[in-house]
Amino acid sequence: MTGAPRTLVLGMGNPILSDDAVGIRLARDLKARLGELPNLFFCEECSVGGLNLLDHISGYDRLVVLDSIQTRGGEPGAWYYFDATRLRDSQNVNNIHDVNFSTALELGRRLGHHLPDDSDIHIFAVEVEDNVTFSETMTDVLEARYPECLEEILQAVRETL
Amino acid sequence: MTRTIGIDPITRLEGHGKIEIFLNDDGSVKDTYFQIPELRGFERFVVGRPIEELPRIVTRICGVCPASHHMASAKAVDGCFGNEAPVLAHKLRDMYYHAHYIHSHIAHFYALAAPDFVVGPDADPAIRNILGVVAKVGLEIGGAVIKARAQAQEIQQILGGRFTHLVWCLPGGVAKGIDKDDLEKIKAMVADLYEFTQFSLKLFKDVVLGNPAYVDLILNGPYCLDVHNMGLVDENNAVNFYDGKVRVVDYEGKEICKYEAKDYAEHVAEHVESWSYLKFPYLKKRGWKGFVEGIDSSIYMATPLSRLNVADRMATPKAQEAFQEMFSTLGGKPCKALMAAHWARLVEMVQNAEMLQAYCGDPEITGDGFRVVPKRITGEGFGIVEAMRGTLTHHYTCDENAICTSANLIVGTTNNNAPIHMVTKKAAAAFIQPGKEITEGILNMIEMAFRSFDPCYSCATHSLPGQMPLEARIWKNGEIVQHFKRGA
Repeated sequence: MTGAPRTLVLGMGNPILSDDAVGIRLARDLKARLGELPNLFFCEECSVGGLNLLDHISGYDRLVVLDSIQTRGGEPGAWYYFDATRLRDSQNVNNIHDVNFSTALELGRRLGHHLPDDSDIHIFAVEVEDNVTFSETMTDVLEARYPECLEEILQAVRETL
Repeated sequence: MTRTIGIDPITRLEGHGKIEIFLNDDGSVKDTYFQIPELRGFERFVVGRPIEELPRIVTRICGVCPASHHMASAKAVDGCFGNEAPVLAHKLRDMYYHAHYIHSHIAHFYALAAPDFVVGPDADPAIRNILGVVAKVGLEIGGAVIKARAQAQEIQQILGGRFTHLVWCLPGGVAKGIDKDDLEKIKAMVADLYEFTQFSLKLFKDVVLGNPAYVDLILNGPYCLDVHNMGLVDENNAVNFYDGKVRVVDYEGKEICKYEAKDYAEHVAEHVESWSYLKFPYLKKRGWKGFVEGIDSSIYMATPLSRLNVADRMATPKAQEAFQEMFSTLGGKPCKALMAAHWARLVEMVQNAEMLQAYCGDPEITGDGFRVVPKRITGEGFGIVEAMRGTLTHHYTCDENAICTSANLIVGTTNNNAPIHMVTKKAAAAFIQPGKEITEGILNMIEMAFRSFDPCYSCATHSLPGQMPLEARIWKNGEIVQHFKRGA
């Protein structure tokens, strides 16, 4: 197992903005449940994006991103899996403060950073209800769905590793 | 019948904005509305907590300028404990803040402004991004940008122990100082950063000022507003980012007022519109007069350009040279051309680098008197700093046990809410003409109007996919007749 790809698990979000904390909580719980594995590293609370993200993910072969998402009509607690190839189109999209994730990845690669391939960036995104209200607790609906969501994502991450 | 064009984000990473453009039957612009959602309940969230916790909490309000909130909050908390922070603490905080400015301004200029000017405002969006910029100017420059940002970040890390979610500022000072080894590391990086600021200025002159079409767009396009300017200045009316008095100067250069942080409520009030979650600050003594330009208007803006407009000078010599060159090229001071904010950021970066150099040569900077533990609770504090995107005000009160009883924040972008609304309408009216096809390039040039403010609606929320895709729809008689969608 010592030859296992260097893998970083990133928990994304804001711990004091209701459901926005779900990625951070998942990362903490996954760390506790997965235990210590060779070449598996955790960044349980990551709130940076864009160019700053390059500093965090350079040097890894594989990335597991845990984050929140809001889709039109989505059910809180539902979760989606996709890899970074699905984000490539977003390189053409403006972000008002920084480059987006896909653009940062592409720039990093062009500049010679060692970064995971898009197909080795595994994104687990949990549908949330409220990410605009300051609170240290998640909404009742997401809290109720969380245990099931954690078990499902844990299983999926185990299969990914 | 009115048609509607909506420039509407599908999701958000750093806050999302939505522009609604209403057209008359003939296709001309009738009105525009710039709307953003407001995060809820921060003031309530902090009431009842120990006031000393607030500088640590506020870094999570905003993932874009956490250090600005940290500094403003620290100063407000200092006030609640009798303002006993020693000079060294203020120097170290200021030093950190200069590095933070460089870090932020580099991102804005190279990742957000440069695509419009280096690649072109109406270029294919597939290449109108930092990748297109690097393709045009070369990988070497791309590497230099990344290196400079990393150095600015490392300086913050050395000073504050970390660069995000700072816990460094404490009531009465900072948690740690720096030693001589730290200083040597910082010195080496500051030398590089200074060179980078000079390089960036030259690039701007070569690429932007060297193109008459861009100069014309900056000076003569719709991106000009006859509104007033706000920014912090020191005792010599030089630009200051961390401390000083707030000065408001009208667009003809006459001072309207100059006030200390504690007096902010006498000078600034906030107007509410039913169609916007975000309030519209205005000059209180003039009263709300609507979204109007003119010398009697009560609308002001607080941007990098505003900071230079309100100041008599920069605080450092090379920045002063750049300041003079900028205003002389633009036809004098104050300058009303909003796009000049991009140039102003580069001038500010020179001062940031020179101030870092000055601190590196300060024999007191490695001292250990960086905190005085407060011995009294005075109950009220005000903290104003210049966030990169505007004047940031924190005002707290606490009880005799130093438990927070109230908090009020006026954040940088909120100051600019009215001007953003006004210039968006102006740009839309200029570029959307009867009978003229509304193209992707036109929508981008409308976006450029509000992007020049570097607006921040983030407050650290984050949801995938981490971008601000825009969707534009044109409605007529209840049906979509044109549909633009980017990045989906």
